[in-house]
Amino acid sequence: MKIGIVGVGITEFRIHEEPFYNVAYQAAKTAMKDAGIERREIDSFILGGYDSLGVGRTISNMYVAPAAGGYLRHEIRVADDAAFSIPLAFMRIKSGLSDVAIALGFGHSSETPVELVEVQSLDPLFHRDLKLAPQMGYAMQSYAYRNAYNVSEEDLAEAVVKDRKNAMKNDYAYVKEETSVEEVLNSDMAVYPLREPEIAKWCDGCVAFILAEETIARRINPDPVWIGGLGWSYDNYFLGARELDKLNSTKLAAEKAYKMAGIRSEDVDSVEIMDLTSDYHFMILEALGFADYGSGKELLDSDFPVNKSGGALCTNAYGSTGMFLMANLAMQIRNGEAERGITHAISGIGQNSVVCVLSK
Amino acid sequence: MVLKFEAKWEIPYVHSAGEHGTKFFEALREKKILGVKCPECGRVLIPPRAFCERCFVDTDEWVEVKDEGVITTVTVTYIKFTGLPDPPYATGIVKLDGADTGMLCLLGGVDLSDWKKVHEIFKPGTRVKAVWKDKPEGKITDILYFEPVEG
Amino acid sequence: MKRVAIVGVGQTKFRTRRDDKTHPELTYEAMKKALDHANLELKDIEAIAYGTMDPFDGIYCPERWDVTSGGVGKPFMKISTGGTTGLTTGLAAYEHVASGMFDIAMAVCTQRVGECVDAQPVLNTAVCPIYERHSGAGAISVAAIQATVHMAKYGTTEEDLAWVSVKDHQNALKNPNAHVKLDIGVEEVLNSPMICSPLKLLECCPRSDGAVAVIFASEEVAKKIRDNPAWVLGEATISDNYYAGDRPDLSHWDTLSIAGRRLFRHAGIDNPIKDIDVAELYSPFTIQEVLELEALGFAKKGEGKKFAKEGITFPDGDMPTNPSGGVMCTNPIGATGLVRLAEASLQVMGEASNQIPDVSTALAHAWGGTLQFHTLMLVSSKKKL
Repeated sequence: MKIGIVGVGITEFRIHEEPFYNVAYQAAKTAMKDAGIERREIDSFILGGYDSLGVGRTISNMYVAPAAGGYLRHEIRVADDAAFSIPLAFMRIKSGLSDVAIALGFGHSSETPVELVEVQSLDPLFHRDLKLAPQMGYAMQSYAYRNAYNVSEEDLAEAVVKDRKNAMKNDYAYVKEETSVEEVLNSDMAVYPLREPEIAKWCDGCVAFILAEETIARRINPDPVWIGGLGWSYDNYFLGARELDKLNSTKLAAEKAYKMAGIRSEDVDSVEIMDLTSDYHFMILEALGFADYGSGKELLDSDFPVNKSGGALCTNAYGSTGMFLMANLAMQIRNGEAERGITHAISGIGQNSVVCVLSK
Repeated sequence: MVLKFEAKWEIPYVHSAGEHGTKFFEALREKKILGVKCPECGRVLIPPRAFCERCFVDTDEWVEVKDEGVITTVTVTYIKFTGLPDPPYATGIVKLDGADTGMLCLLGGVDLSDWKKVHEIFKPGTRVKAVWKDKPEGKITDILYFEPVEG
Repeated sequence: MKRVAIVGVGQTKFRTRRDDKTHPELTYEAMKKALDHANLELKDIEAIAYGTMDPFDGIYCPERWDVTSGGVGKPFMKISTGGTTGLTTGLAAYEHVASGMFDIAMAVCTQRVGECVDAQPVLNTAVCPIYERHSGAGAISVAAIQATVHMAKYGTTEEDLAWVSVKDHQNALKNPNAHVKLDIGVEEVLNSPMICSPLKLLECCPRSDGAVAVIFASEEVAKKIRDNPAWVLGEATISDNYYAGDRPDLSHWDTLSIAGRRLFRHAGIDNPIKDIDVAELYSPFTIQEVLELEALGFAKKGEGKKFAKEGITFPDGDMPTNPSGGVMCTNPIGATGLVRLAEASLQVMGEASNQIPDVSTALAHAWGGTLQFHTLMLVSSKKKL
């Protein structure tokens, strides 16, 4: 049984004035319209996004489930970046428990200081008092990465420039402002060694996918985008127990996704990665097998399309970034710009990754 | 004997009411309660919302409902929960005249010390009326509570 | 769909506080017990679904720390859906195997409500900050407004409800993992302090610390692990709209009726009271068991109130409910739903601490939100009814 994407709904990604559930409703509505189906034709509602503190409401799916269209239907929520809800939606359909499902991701950062929220994810015994914001964790990874492989600031700045350039062509991207290597290198240091443009900025936005089992998918849409492979994997919480210059959760997730799809990294022609920092841009590409460790920068000079969407560096809604990237890849495949691509999402301080293979 | 560490979360939030909520709260300033009418099922929904969950359509028609209605249910809380109102306080659902859904709210205007008497006064079906703050600020607490309608 | 069985169950002891363990240590304790029960090793577990409700423990996204209990390097998926979390986590793990993606998957849930100084303000943050939070609503008041309506409509009495509590408390005495162990009768319940009228202290669940793990395996693998697995016969989950004031009739839990009907149709249940031998229902408050019995078709509308009083739901009655002592005596909120499934599975395996004789089919249930969500799972010693 194949499982395909037959509808995509993306809202604007920016700071929204409407509550997150109203934005979620727009994403669901758009996806249903895109697929040409009604709410009642969907049997399962799989939500993705962060809980409680992110939106100041303890059970966020109380608000998002009805907004997704889940009234009197099956509904469940994966409490992580919404891209992690795709495997669950996939498995539910694959189990034969669902014919048509919606996977909806809600991302919202503008109601509260996200760093303060994220600090509460540190255990109250050993780490909370260190007040480690996620950007500080990323910075320690950057420091380790730059030192291990002598990666130059210029190459890292180039990754930002490239994402920014791509975002200019993407209607849905949040940061639309071209930059140059000099500009990046002369910008303010945010968290050493990361400068301000090298770290993704928070925004709000929602995405929804309509997924269906093969035979129904073909009835809804003659050319679905197929989900060929999926892999997800969690790394250690203790940063001291990790190889900080590598993203091993991404590596393990990618291995599983490739194996399931029966492909290798050479077989894809587009990739969307959740590059929350300039260093992540390279580290993810390396973990995905597109370059050797420390050589991710080589892809800057190639024609291989990385983050045609502008990547997470240009669009990062707290909770839906990974799903946003996936939606962008699905659109590229639909538009004939790519035949088979992979999409990546990451959460925590590079702790949890999901990789998905999409194809024509 | 193990060590224990105290912790407290203090995280500020600014919750958006959205365009629909904004209209509702602005009307509260004038002691008016507005609901939205679903164009498909025709139900008048309180609190107002941008879409009808059942019909999955936008709701843009505004309807003023009365600040009077009937009680669906009630409970009186007698113990103190951290950060919640001082007991006793009565919480209930009131279905306002002109609305098809109920509103979770505080009930008052009566002696709350004996729960059986309170349940007798606020039996399901009892008519109640909003008691407003003298100078409403456009917040849900502008309605202090609902009290029984005399006679 | 691949046939799936539950092959291992592990529970920690549930207590007011588990000061002896950190969060991941508690998770590990449940995982280890489940592995021992199934005679498996951690390396045999291919994927994990993990559930909790963040705010109660004072840790946001506690899965990031908890993954060190044995999830590092594995697919490890966090589920959180409110009160139903435990059972939706079980459902997610079930789907890992039913899809054919994995042969062995584990569901594990940890919650430390005891570390939260007061749970009701946390529950109050679940309700809408703009329209409803000021009403002081928490889980207890939400159940109380159901009781008010049921009493007014069907003449359900305080004594009827007290019997539900007595039954659960008597059952908990036989469960070594249960949290509250009180040998009480109807008088004690009726004389306990009023919390949210008409619900009294002994009609309300405690706040518990603890963890639970359940292992799911594909048919081929399950047969090798044990000869008395609990086969999963079906599941159902339903989601209502948000506002409690939208519920058409609080005396009848109609969404649970709908979910029940979907499950029964799928699993081939014609007559619930005959076909189901025992039910682990999510009833942290007495009135809710009454509503659940009626919604699931075990009792006719308005007649659920008699079931405890007449002994029908006691272990030797026709429709035993919560032989574990239920949520009334143990409530680690985000883990509670999975405890229901664990206990239902143990009943089917014939290994429960308060074993009902000759159980073949058992139901597990959880509800969540402000009366918004339900999840059901059905397990049996038979592969098919």
